[in-house]
Amino acid sequence: MSCNEKYIKIMHDYLDGDISAEDESLLKKHLEDCEECQKHFHELNRTITFIQSAERIEAPNGFTDNVMKHLPTEKKSMKYKR
Amino acid sequence: MDQFIKKQIIQVKKGDQSAFSDVVTFYQDKIYRHCYRMLGNKHEAEDIAQEAFIRAYVNIDSFDENRKFSTWLYRIATNLTIDRMRKRKPDFHLDAEVKGTDGLDMYSQLASTERLPGEEAESRELKRYIHHEISQLPSRYRSIIMLRYLEEFSLKEISEILDVPLGTVKTRIHRGREALRKRLRHV
Repeated sequence: MSCNEKYIKIMHDYLDGDISAEDESLLKKHLEDCEECQKHFHELNRTITFIQSAERIEAPNGFTDNVMKHLPTEKKSMKYKR
Repeated sequence: MDQFIKKQIIQVKKGDQSAFSDVVTFYQDKIYRHCYRMLGNKHEAEDIAQEAFIRAYVNIDSFDENRKFSTWLYRIATNLTIDRMRKRKPDFHLDAEVKGTDGLDMYSQLASTERLPGEEAESRELKRYIHHEISQLPSRYRSIIMLRYLEEFSLKEISEILDVPLGTVKTRIHRGREALRKRLRHV
C-alpha cells in the first residue's frame, strides 16, 4: 500500500465519522505535509458539498390525493365509529 | 414530527385510512426524490413512489412501531426502484439515444430546457451537471450516496434499508465518493 492509499482510506473513515483519535491526528499531521493528499481531501469534501447542493425535487401536485385514491377500501368498523 | 408520524401510524393500524394521508404528505417529497434519482425519469418516479406508499399502507401491520418508520418506507421504495431497473432492458442507459427523437438522449429529457438569465442559469446548469454525474454512477453506489448525503441516514440505517452488511455499505460509499470526486474535480 502506498502512502497515498493508506491516507485515502483514513480520509474516508474520517468522512464516515468512523475514525480513531490516533488515525485522526495522523491524518491531520500528514495533510500538513503532503500537498497531494491535501488536494484529494479537499476534492472529496467539495464533492460532498456538490452532492448536497444538487437540485431539490418535489413530488408532483396532487400526489397525496392520488395515493389516497388508490388505497384499498377502508375497514368498515372505522367508518362506523366516525 | 417523529411523534406525530408515530401517532398517525397507530391510527392507520387501527384502520383509520385518513390518518395515512398525513404520512404521505410528510414523506412524499423525500420518497419521490429518492425514486427520481434512482430512476432518472419523472413518470416512473411518480409511479414507483405511489406504489411504495400503497405497499406501506397494505403492509402496515408488519411494521414494528419500535423501529424508525422512514427506514422501513425507504426500504420498500428502494426495493421497488431496483425491481423496476431490473425489468428494463439490460442496455438501458441514460446516455442512450431515444428512438425517434433525433439524437435526444434520456438526459436531455430529464431536465427542463428552459434557460434562465445570468447567474441563476449558471447555478442551474451546474446543478443539472451534478445531477447528471450522480445519475451516471452505478446504482449500487448511487443509492448509498443519496441516502447518506441527501436523506442524511446513518451508515447503519442504510445497511438496514438496503439489507446489506455495514462493511459493504462502507466500501460502497468510499468507492462512490471516489468515483464522484473524479467526475466532479474539474468543475
